Amino acid sequence: MRRILALLDKDLADLRQNPSLFVPALLTGFFSILLPFIIAIIIPAMTGERLSDSSDFELVVETYNSQPAMRGLTPEGVIQAWVFQHFLVLLVLTPIAGSMSVAAYSVIGEKQARTLEPLLATPITTFELLTAKVLGSFLPALMLSLGSFCVYVAGMLVFAEPGTYRALFTPASLGVVFLLGPLSALVALQLAVCVSSRVNDARSAQQIGALVILPIAGLLVVQLTGSIVLTIPVILAISAILLGMNAGLMLLGVKLFDREAILTRWK
Amino acid sequence: MLTASHLTRRFGSRLAVDDVSFELVPGEVFALLGPNGAGKTTTLRMLAGLIEPSSGHVHLRTGSQSPDTSPSLRGQIGFLTESPGLWERLDVRRNLLVYARLHGLPRPDHAVGEALETFGIRDRARDLAGQLSKGLKQRVALARALLHKPRVVLLDEPTSGLDPQSAHEFRELVVRLRNTNHTVVLSTHNLDEVERIASRVAVLRTRLIALDTPAALRVRLFGSRLRITLGQSAEPFSALLRDSGFPDVRADANTLSIAVTDGSASAPPIVKRLVEAGADVCAVGVEEPRLEDVYLRLVDGDRK
Repeated sequence: MRRILALLDKDLADLRQNPSLFVPALLTGFFSILLPFIIAIIIPAMTGERLSDSSDFELVVETYNSQPAMRGLTPEGVIQAWVFQHFLVLLVLTPIAGSMSVAAYSVIGEKQARTLEPLLATPITTFELLTAKVLGSFLPALMLSLGSFCVYVAGMLVFAEPGTYRALFTPASLGVVFLLGPLSALVALQLAVCVSSRVNDARSAQQIGALVILPIAGLLVVQLTGSIVLTIPVILAISAILLGMNAGLMLLGVKLFDREAILTRWK
Repeated sequence: MLTASHLTRRFGSRLAVDDVSFELVPGEVFALLGPNGAGKTTTLRMLAGLIEPSSGHVHLRTGSQSPDTSPSLRGQIGFLTESPGLWERLDVRRNLLVYARLHGLPRPDHAVGEALETFGIRDRARDLAGQLSKGLKQRVALARALLHKPRVVLLDEPTSGLDPQSAHEFRELVVRLRNTNHTVVLSTHNLDEVERIASRVAVLRTRLIALDTPAALRVRLFGSRLRITLGQSAEPFSALLRDSGFPDVRADANTLSIAVTDGSASAPPIVKRLVEAGADVCAVGVEEPRLEDVYLRLVDGDRK
């Protein structure tokens, strides 16, 4: 454990020295916050046409205004709450896309900087090394996600209809933020670290790692189309799958990490 | 201290190291010489537990390297890789501190403070590693390799690319390690460096071509020769020495070069004979071929 913490501490210190690495994560976080505000607040304000004026959202109002978190909201507030609730997945997951570059670079970056060999010459085990590398990109991603969530809620308090923020404090929404988001992030970043330890150039690692985000983006789409409603049982079921995937990925990562190939074949 | 037994390593169909064996004792600097691609780094990596031998094994006084024991044995060896491999955006202290913690040292801050003092880098502790000169980086890397106080230290081309002053300072550090009873394995192309600090030399070309002290290798390849400078032409005295039982005598201007079995023991009777014959003996010395000549002859001989 202390070796994991030692390497994690180093990775975080390294990131602090190079804050530009967070720029993609900050940008994706910013735009994912902005998007629902554009849809639910800015466009209606600019056009002068409220969302509740459109018949497209009648079904939303009918379905959602009976939910406890929506009680007492105006029809406009219900629609806004629905939009903000559904974009929560995007908000929680997009900083991961930004942190992907950190994860993808984690092992290959050490190799390219020629710092990997001295590191491997210490008693650190492959499990410890990979865990530290995954956490080194996961913790900043998690901080960004939670930070984005706070900004999101603050934005809703200021710009949205009064009380809409309550829609984010339902068990399902909190499950998305605190369970589904972190577990998905962990899967994505673990995969990126695995890729980083198998390819011999950072760009390949980043490109392959970026593909990992696709199934997660898919979740947002199916949710918006109504094919899946993220209720508590659904969130718990997906979380259990993600938990299993995380355990499997760690075992796979340790198995795939070939110290000898990394030292002798990578240039 | 450390024994390499029949180390062999293949990479696919390519044989990188073939049946290399040696035993290292405390307080020696053991130089690994060989052309590029001869298997020096691969041998060091096997000794460090970074890669597994295809066959053969490495045995430390405390146990043998194997996939199960490698992590703990790696903790007993200090390995200075060819490149210093410092995290350039972190300062010197933090670079060392991470390694102190990776080695599980009980008081990492204290160990780092001690290393900074020992290697004379305390005043650079807060500098970013990326801002250091190559010589200083190498010094920090050596401090890092020795943080956990290993008794065996492996150095992979440590002075490559250093300026003469930095290389000299680095050699001083290696000599200090030797004098404190560390076992140092030094892979290098710098024959002058080997001449200055190595106790024994191993010449590798996939397999071990030769292993001995530099002096013994010289004698083995070139024999021992006495070099006598006279106050007059040497030619007239060469026949005299041949008649006195030294068949291999070369005369060049006023210098005689005589093949002998033991340089120091043969000198007094030869000098006596020359003086009796009327020679003015100005200087007497044992001829030492350069280590470069020894190395080239070994490597060329193996190639043929």
